[in-house]
Amino acid sequence: MRKIAIYGKGGIGKSTTTQNTVAGLAEMGHKVMVVGCDPKADSTRLLLGGLSQRSVLDTLREEGEDVELADIRNGGFCNTLCVESGGPEPGVGCAGRGIITSINMLEQLGAYDASENLNYVFYDVLGDVVCGGFAMPIRDGKAEEIYIVCSGEMMAMYAANNICKGILKFATNGKVRLGGLICNSRKVDNERQMIEQFAKLLGTQMIHFVPRDNDVQRAEINRKTVIEWNPKCGQADEYRALAKAIDQNTNFVIPRPLPMPELEKLLMEFGLYN
Amino acid sequence: MMIELLPGREKQVVHKGGQGVAATEMACGKASTAGSVSQRACVFCGSRVVLYPIADALHIVHGPVGCAAYTWDIRGALSSGPQLHRHSFTTDLQEMDVIYGGEKKLEAALTELIAHHSPKAAFVYSTCIVGLIGDDVSAVCQRVSKKTGIPVLGVHSEGFKGTKKDGYKAACDALYKLIGTGDTSNISPHSINILGEFNLAGETWVLRDYYKRLGIEVVSCLTGDSRVEEIRRAHGAKLNLVQCSGSMTSLAKMMERDFGIPFKRVSYFGIEDMSAALYEAAKFFPDAPEIMARAQNLVREEVAAIYPELLRYKQKLLGKKAAIYVGGSFKAFSLMRALRLIGMETAIVGSQTGDQDDYKQLQEMADPGTIIVDDANPLELAKFCLEKDVDLFIGGVKERPIAYKLGIGFCDHNHERKEPLAGYIGMLNFAKEVYASVASPVWQFAPRRAKRAAVLPQNAVV
Repeated sequence: MRKIAIYGKGGIGKSTTTQNTVAGLAEMGHKVMVVGCDPKADSTRLLLGGLSQRSVLDTLREEGEDVELADIRNGGFCNTLCVESGGPEPGVGCAGRGIITSINMLEQLGAYDASENLNYVFYDVLGDVVCGGFAMPIRDGKAEEIYIVCSGEMMAMYAANNICKGILKFATNGKVRLGGLICNSRKVDNERQMIEQFAKLLGTQMIHFVPRDNDVQRAEINRKTVIEWNPKCGQADEYRALAKAIDQNTNFVIPRPLPMPELEKLLMEFGLYN
Repeated sequence: MMIELLPGREKQVVHKGGQGVAATEMACGKASTAGSVSQRACVFCGSRVVLYPIADALHIVHGPVGCAAYTWDIRGALSSGPQLHRHSFTTDLQEMDVIYGGEKKLEAALTELIAHHSPKAAFVYSTCIVGLIGDDVSAVCQRVSKKTGIPVLGVHSEGFKGTKKDGYKAACDALYKLIGTGDTSNISPHSINILGEFNLAGETWVLRDYYKRLGIEVVSCLTGDSRVEEIRRAHGAKLNLVQCSGSMTSLAKMMERDFGIPFKRVSYFGIEDMSAALYEAAKFFPDAPEIMARAQNLVREEVAAIYPELLRYKQKLLGKKAAIYVGGSFKAFSLMRALRLIGMETAIVGSQTGDQDDYKQLQEMADPGTIIVDDANPLELAKFCLEKDVDLFIGGVKERPIAYKLGIGFCDHNHERKEPLAGYIGMLNFAKEVYASVASPVWQFAPRRAKRAAVLPQNAVV
């Protein structure tokens, strides 16, 4: 079983990219579980065809410790398994602690057991790694491969660089490695070349360049992944290509985060290329 | 130095030199050294012990159950009326409360408890976890206060915020929200507040009686056997007498700033300090010379009543040595004087929260060779006790096992004590207790003295 976590700046398209990629892997015949690690509990909407009705934490809160796997795990597109951690409303409590509790609960319930025959687990984690709780998926070998979704925009690259610092910290004591950057294009100048260079400087690769396409938005409105909504469209093939690249990836590294001036220099070089 | 100290603690221990040697500057008032199992409590515990004696208030600990359980009935503070303060209410925050926030649970608990017990005010103590998850305790307090019509006061005592002293400060800040809200008409021009006195074993009652006999009105005692109503009108008093200076000086300063009430540091332990406390108050009211006359009479009567008996104890205790380790250093001064009165020497003296001036004064008062220590740990205290071969340890609940394990007599002078030690009667009780402990035949069976040579490091002074 390969255990993968997807990180990236808030709003960059982590959940969208994760679900579309998972759809590609599932279509290839893999058994995949997605664990949403965002209190908003919207990481599995496209696979489920609507928001998950019951998060792990809400269920625990309402029914106590006596929870069964079937209560919190839903079947989605192409036999994927979908779980949402859930958590508090904005501004209250401790969502980070919630993720710790939730993942421990899944382990206790045997969601990762060999009998489940999983080929992949995906953790979709909210925004920045703001505290220890959000680093949970990359601690203790829970996820061993990280992919960072980014674009050629300054703040997305800055966030990616920061996430690399988190990975570096945990990689030195554990098995977690960076598998690559996924460029979710925002159509900025020289985006592909810039992210390729950025990946190289970090010591990793750009595993796929996902072009910007309105079909993604159309599929989202229909609560579907692109592959389910229109398996024949070009964007569906992009996600299939990304899924295949991840499936065949063997390039796992401990990243070398860039000092700030170097990151800015990169932007100057490529952003002002013309 | 005879005993090995943890690196970083060297400047917190002084061996007093010969007569006339200038006092050394000691390090103090800093966070405990890592690895040193400090005898200090946390911020929350500091707040809890200060506010605990307010008997008609509801005290609720917002946090996991341990914080409330381990501070349950923490002081021997007696009440002449309601006993509500002796309960240990808590929101018992658990995993799901931490994740989803504890505000709703707190509001529900407060609403239910206030309806059930009809307290005059409620104190809500914030513990570590509340500080981490960021529950808006103040907002809940405001809402519940509006709903129930009583003051509901947040005590910002998150444990990790600093030392026990920061807890005192948080408690004073909460208390100060009550002061100034009551009616001050009909308060005598000769009136005081007693600050930093907690009615342990009924000591406040002893003191109130003395001041009454002088003709001085005690408006409020903070916080021994106190009631919310009297705290609200504390600003009507003319003078504040501060005993436990570590805990209450910040409140006294705020009252001086905003209400123009001056304050004086006093102590009620031992004949000298008790008498000084009465004279201090009497001197403050020169318009009423009869108060001073009454004070002189009272002191004469009270001292005469106990002195012969004290002398008897003194004969038996002459030359015996004591170790003192207390929370605030002001109490250490009193204890050193009280011990001298009954013929005993102080070989070791230390405190959890003393400041630079306190330690300077302690060094000046101490006999040559005395060890003065700030923020000690059990290992140090045990070793010092052996080095000095003391006959008595005066301390609190955390020092008791150290003394007993070493086979040393122990006198409880902390907030759990059951015997009043303040005032003149308290001095007599103190002498009795010290005598009973030190002179007990049981110590002849303790192997300490026989084994002393073996236990001590080679270069120790025996």
